[in-house]
Amino acid sequence: MKIKLELFGASRDLSNKEFLELNIKENISIKDLRNKIINYVDEKFKGNENYKKIIKSSAFCSEDNNIVSDNYQITKDQKIGIIPPIGGG
Amino acid sequence: MLHTKIIDLSKEKIKPENAEEFIASSKFGASIVFYGTVRENNENKKVTGITYDSHDQLVIKSFKEIYNEVDEKLNIKDKSVFIEHVKGYVGLGEISIIIAVACPHRSEAYDLSRYIIEEIKKRSPIWKKEHYENKESEWLKGNPIQAN
Repeated sequence: MKIKLELFGASRDLSNKEFLELNIKENISIKDLRNKIINYVDEKFKGNENYKKIIKSSAFCSEDNNIVSDNYQITKDQKIGIIPPIGGG
Repeated sequence: MLHTKIIDLSKEKIKPENAEEFIASSKFGASIVFYGTVRENNENKKVTGITYDSHDQLVIKSFKEIYNEVDEKLNIKDKSVFIEHVKGYVGLGEISIIIAVACPHRSEAYDLSRYIIEEIKKRSPIWKKEHYENKESEWLKGNPIQAN
């Protein structure tokens, strides 16, 4: 299963593209997806603590534009947005 | 009446005259146009500009939710609201957001304008990357969004 993780705000520093592509073997919850992204930071950015802090404090957005909880299950290929702490205006 | 839009500055400019035009009506006796602009100093750092990022669909959804809940929360039924927020690079003194409101009376217009900007700051997925005189830049810390 492929998850296209769309990057916004501070999470854009995780890639020079607008998204990360994650290959996942089976259904995964948002909670576990968050841990996968933290593992990615451990591997690619030597465990950069600032990046990990951003991921831990981020919400996630489903393809149909709803903020989803940690229990939300991803069961098929889809786009998920990572929503770091916000502050516009 | 509601107008909402994210202005992608790589494609178009934000235009205050559009806001004035949208809210103009002889039904209303009070109009307020709020501009958010980029200021030159933040936490003792010399700012040269801000890059705004946005989850466009979620932002528009949040603008509509804020507008729709005003009936109940502020008891303001008759109103016209124009909200545009930019994404992309904004220089010093330039506009990042326009909130224009019109209501029958001034107290409603002041309440409505203030309510909308405060809720946007809490709820709309928009991010700021500040650029500084020393050529460094930094994503600003914000408020985490919670799932409903």
